[in-house]
Amino acid sequence: MNCEQLAALYEEYALGVLEGEERAELEAHLARPGDQCISGVAQARWVVAQLAHAAPDAQPPATLRGKIADAVKPSADTSRAAVPIEKPNSSEPRAIFPAWAWVAAAALALITGYTVRQMNSQNEQLAQLRKQMKLATMQNQALQNQLDLDRMVAMVMMSPDSVPFKLMPKDKNMPMVHAYLHPHMGVAITADQMPSMPSARTLQLWFVPKKGNPVSIAIFHPDAAGQIALVAPVNMPMTEIAALAVTDEPAGGSPQPTTPIAWMAQVN
Amino acid sequence: MLLAVVQPWPEGKQPTDAVLMERILQRDSGALEALYDRYGRPVYSLVLRIAQHPSSAEEIVQDVFLQLWRSADRFQISRGPLEPWLFTMARNRALDFLRLKREKQRRREDSDSDILPSAVVRPDPEGDIDQSRRAEKIRALMTSLPEAQRRAIELAFFEGMSHSEIAAATGEALGTVKSWIRGGLLRLRESLGEASS
Repeated sequence: MNCEQLAALYEEYALGVLEGEERAELEAHLARPGDQCISGVAQARWVVAQLAHAAPDAQPPATLRGKIADAVKPSADTSRAAVPIEKPNSSEPRAIFPAWAWVAAAALALITGYTVRQMNSQNEQLAQLRKQMKLATMQNQALQNQLDLDRMVAMVMMSPDSVPFKLMPKDKNMPMVHAYLHPHMGVAITADQMPSMPSARTLQLWFVPKKGNPVSIAIFHPDAAGQIALVAPVNMPMTEIAALAVTDEPAGGSPQPTTPIAWMAQVN
Repeated sequence: MLLAVVQPWPEGKQPTDAVLMERILQRDSGALEALYDRYGRPVYSLVLRIAQHPSSAEEIVQDVFLQLWRSADRFQISRGPLEPWLFTMARNRALDFLRLKREKQRRREDSDSDILPSAVVRPDPEGDIDQSRRAEKIRALMTSLPEAQRRAIELAFFEGMSHSEIAAATGEALGTVKSWIRGGLLRLRESLGEASS
């Protein structure tokens, strides 16, 4: 579509309702410097922002103004709020505050103002650095957790005591899920090319005993790359396990399967 | 001493948003307070409508004005007026809160670029009408829309839903929802155009 055809969608885009191909097409235009759609969408944002006036009028708490003022006080240039309001009367003797005193006071105010601004700038840089460090620490922790998990999965997979199983999908379009059952370390589950799942749903792994109801072992989601890697404890003797099964359940899992088995492997 | 706090600008002569933003860049906290006096109420009304919770709304509004203080250098008055920029920033922040509350997902570390809106340009800068008249226009327009159409626009604006989410929430066909919203926005655009001419 060209810019003229896309013009009818500008307000919907600014409102955030546009989806799919229409959204992708408009965003492709917006990514081109100088594209006519850029100014069109900027104008549409103004129109859409006016819908804020449709909100019922409400009075903010009286304390809010003071909270905001207090919060910015440390980074405010306090020297700006103080200015002379009285001029010395020219008819009065000038000896009390000679010119050099005014010059000195002004110089002091300038130096103070400059120092305060420098400190504020340094404080802001420090806060920014702290934020970046926090983010890096979190990323590092996430990587470490992933590494630990991968290590555990590899240990279970490579142990001579582990027994491998292939969980076959009921839907032929779905990939196979691999399980490695170890009597002490637990069961490792791996899969690739899994389709993404809505956040309201989860996959749930079950041990199906020879007698009795299925026992929930773990709930899991494919990651952004469609991969699954997890290790869960084995909570029953391996000889009692008749089959491994995976079902699609509501987020948080279910006490018992609520949907047909999606993947299964016979164990004993 | 002969130093005292004075009125930062002459009484009765209100500085423009551009002047206040310039003074915020110079770290003048009085300018931020003046902008709060001008926009605090409509911003709070908007955020409260979205967040539905007074103490959360208060926190979000405080966040928005502090963001304005921190990111004043990112706002260019030449690229558009302050009011819709502020409304867009408040709406983004409030919808983030709403999504977080609904989905109970872990709060991500918001960077400035996540909340700061893109350029907002008034279509007809010369023909702008005052804030209260524009607000009256918007309220009148919304009241004049059929209930279902108004509801669809409110779900989009105040609850951040997409076309298909609104269709699912209202049980209406996707095409119907699209045409309601498109029609409503067209009327909004025309109404604001008429109001400013």
